[in-house]
Amino acid sequence: MQKSSGSYYQQWRLIKDNLARYGVIAGGMGVIVAVVMIFFYLLYVVFPLFLSATAEPVSQYALPEKTLGKTLLLDMEEQNQVAARFTETGHIVFFDVATGKTITNQTVAIPAGSQITSFAQATPLNEGVVIYGLSDGRAVLVKHQYKVTYVNNQKVITPSLAYPMGEQPLVLDDGHAALETIAAQVSDGSTTVVAKTAAKILLSSFQKEQALFADEATLTRSDAVLNPPDTGVQDILIDKDGSYLYLLGSQGRLDFYDISDKSTPVLKQAQNVVGAGQKITSIAFLNGDLSLMMGDSTGLVSQWSMVRDSSNHSSMQKIRVFKVSDKAIVALKSEQRRKGFLTVDAAGNIGIYHSTAEKELIKEHVADSLTDVAMSPRANALLMQSPDDKIYFWAVENEHPEVSLKALWQKVWYESYPKPDYIWQSSASNNDFEPKYSLIPLVFGTLKAAFYAMLVAMPLALMGAIYTAYFMNPQMRQYVKPIIELMGALPTVILGFLAGLWLAPFIEEHLAGFFSLFLVVPLAIMLFAYFWQFVPRSILEKIPDGSDAVLLIPLILMAGMLAFSISVPLEAALFHGSLREWFKDELGIGYDQRNALVVGVAMGFAVIPTIFSIAEDAIFSVPKHLTVGSLALGATPWQTLSRVVLLTASPGIFSAVMIGFGRAVGETMIVLMSTGNTPVMDLSIFQGMRTLAANIAVEMPESEVDSTHYRVLFLTALVLFAFTFVFNTLAEVVRQRLREKYSSL
Amino acid sequence: MTAQEVRTHAIDINSVLNNRVKHNETHDVSIRVENLKLFYGEKQALHGINMEMPKKKVTAYIGPSGCGKSTLLRCINRMNDLVDHVTIEGKILLDNENIYDKSVNVAALRRRVGMVFQKPNPFPKSIFENVAYGLRIQGINDKRILEETVENALRGAALWDEMKDRLNDNALGMSGGQQQRLVIARAIAIEPEVLLLDEPASALDPISTLKIEELINELKEKYTIVIVTHNMQQAARVSDYTAFMYMGELIEMGTTSELFTNPKKKQTEDYITGRYG
Repeated sequence: MQKSSGSYYQQWRLIKDNLARYGVIAGGMGVIVAVVMIFFYLLYVVFPLFLSATAEPVSQYALPEKTLGKTLLLDMEEQNQVAARFTETGHIVFFDVATGKTITNQTVAIPAGSQITSFAQATPLNEGVVIYGLSDGRAVLVKHQYKVTYVNNQKVITPSLAYPMGEQPLVLDDGHAALETIAAQVSDGSTTVVAKTAAKILLSSFQKEQALFADEATLTRSDAVLNPPDTGVQDILIDKDGSYLYLLGSQGRLDFYDISDKSTPVLKQAQNVVGAGQKITSIAFLNGDLSLMMGDSTGLVSQWSMVRDSSNHSSMQKIRVFKVSDKAIVALKSEQRRKGFLTVDAAGNIGIYHSTAEKELIKEHVADSLTDVAMSPRANALLMQSPDDKIYFWAVENEHPEVSLKALWQKVWYESYPKPDYIWQSSASNNDFEPKYSLIPLVFGTLKAAFYAMLVAMPLALMGAIYTAYFMNPQMRQYVKPIIELMGALPTVILGFLAGLWLAPFIEEHLAGFFSLFLVVPLAIMLFAYFWQFVPRSILEKIPDGSDAVLLIPLILMAGMLAFSISVPLEAALFHGSLREWFKDELGIGYDQRNALVVGVAMGFAVIPTIFSIAEDAIFSVPKHLTVGSLALGATPWQTLSRVVLLTASPGIFSAVMIGFGRAVGETMIVLMSTGNTPVMDLSIFQGMRTLAANIAVEMPESEVDSTHYRVLFLTALVLFAFTFVFNTLAEVVRQRLREKYSSL
Repeated sequence: MTAQEVRTHAIDINSVLNNRVKHNETHDVSIRVENLKLFYGEKQALHGINMEMPKKKVTAYIGPSGCGKSTLLRCINRMNDLVDHVTIEGKILLDNENIYDKSVNVAALRRRVGMVFQKPNPFPKSIFENVAYGLRIQGINDKRILEETVENALRGAALWDEMKDRLNDNALGMSGGQQQRLVIARAIAIEPEVLLLDEPASALDPISTLKIEELINELKEKYTIVIVTHNMQQAARVSDYTAFMYMGELIEMGTTSELFTNPKKKQTEDYITGRYG
């Protein structure tokens, strides 16, 4: 009986033993698997950013309606189903993109007797407006548009033509001279046309004014005449707002006019954009019309953009050059929604580039030579025509051209910026915007916030830990330690809320008081210590050893109140009434209300319990026999602390600091609510910042799933993950080293 | 230790004592304890101890666990001050100076009265720095002085030959016996007058114990030594005088040979013959 119950017990014990073992293994593996899965999920989302773009032929066919003349322009609609071929005879052939079958063939209303002498796409490109310049000094604006209907559940796209300025041609030159070169800009209320005749350059602008309660609109017209440059005009471009006009001379001279006032154009700048002997062979606006891309005869594409110098004078400058080919660039097309562009060189090679990322995405050979190209509005299809009247239809897979290592980690010269810089500015309300994905400001902000938090937390937490573990009497320690650890349980959103809404304005108003804290409090403590020695022994004996710190609490409170109460008179007396103004005027330091100081205090408060708790444990667990051994050799308590205790506890103290730092780096709510979230790179304690974690919290809800922005946010998460991983690993290695060296039995 | 074991020990002790030269001469008194009472809170641990410890002799405290021998030892360099709620009455005179006098600097006292503990407690530093510690805390950083002192102390603790090539190694890598001798070297490096040994060999193997005991014999040439031990053989082997304590009282004190061969009190006899558990 006894034997069987014994073996039953033995078995039960074995089962429990195994259960515990496998439970522990399962738990531990589970944690590792979870972390690895998070890592791989982040990687999975980020990975497409670094996939290279591809372009592949889909189909190829003979030029539709070849008899209608040479192609002036190829274009495609949004869905990549219908393409348009604008011919020199004034026909527009709409054909099926995939097969080349003609859908309809429409004729532009060109008056009898006039010839087409010039042709251009009007800006902005997505309006689908083209302009024909005629031999009699007139011009016609035509818009090609596409209507999507569903017939029998099948998508049918019907192309049609419209005349935004009416079917009657606009008379540009009263002298009826032929328009040799032409450009137009079309927007809701106004249309600007610039055309060159043999003798002059004409600028005509039409303002449409809708009467309030009537249907009819009145057109007001203003005209101006510009002198053509001596070198002749090869190309004319007007930006999409109709504010700037660019005339490209045939020798590579670029004249740049301000035409915001249409009746009086002002020449702002005239300069050569290529070296002697070279030629600009193609020119196009980059999306947004802030930059001009110019391809030259040597195969370079250079980006010119308006740059404002220190004296607030802006001029066109070359900000970037792409080496595309050895041959001349025969065509340049910009993407309509991104800062990418397509190049075609004289040898029939196409290339797709992204300007901000400074990256070559695609380079393919299509045919021996290409005359016309079209890029679809979504930049995912290409239509190319070769001189032997063939059309090539290619599909492009190019989801994330904006991202390159350079764009993420190096200085980039963005459009309209005076110089290359690190900027994080991921999105704006329109498509023209150039996304700025430099991670440097975010990493900088993260480290800055963590640095100031550690600046506040480290001395307080470590000194507190030393006092609590080494000097404080055990009864008081029993209360103090849990209370400080309880600070860590405070939700960070509350800390952030208090920091942003109470502390930030409070410090702003009592800046001098805040700084005088650093003087008043230590002074008060020192005075207190000085008078402490005169306290009679009878009173001293009633205070248990090591609990004298309690007496400092009211003292520090009073000193703090004193410091803040002298804030206003202090600022009045020494700093002309405001320390902030004084900083700004005398030292040139600007003051943000939500700044690193506030973050340092708030996040320091959040980090203190972590550092304190681990460091205190480390110091407290230094074996008593070491302390006693040191004291027995005649060391003072202070010597024992600094030479034996801290040394032995150093691995623990080190990991306390590292874990605190890791916490500060990953902290989100506090920085989100108390930094102002401006991604500036300024070390100043009075400036805000934006951290990686806060950035994810701010931008993730507004980013479109699977967009570049979305993936870049995941990339920042991955950076944060890798950062903490590497940092913790390093810290652990150092800690193990220290432990081997200083661990005591 | 069972009664049987203690008895066999006692027989060994007699054989040891018979082979010893008996010391009967009188000596200068190094430490005099006068009516020392010690309370842990309400509980009294020492009940009016009076004793004298001669200069440059080894005095051993024996007695069952909890009898107060370690407490008494720790009073001599005021280590009991570190324990909360301890009150001490009476006097301990070191060279006729009361160490419990208000004017006494405790750190300075401890430099004069060194102490070695039951468990070896080298600092997590190099062997050299362990021995030099006592000097460094006094502000002595002259390399030449330090090297000389460390060498002398290690020689004094019979460690020099073993350790002279490993001075920069971490002291925690040494064996327990070596560590204990290192700790003794550390204590004698600051040239104290008195050396307190609190069961210095109880955590060591027999060979290390032997080395420590040999060392004690050498050290008494220079230092007054007070040793607490559980091991009566050890007391018999190393000490000149032995004090038997029981329940916080000093029962009997005399020369070691007298106390072990001819105890005056019945309690002493009971203890050394193993009648206490």
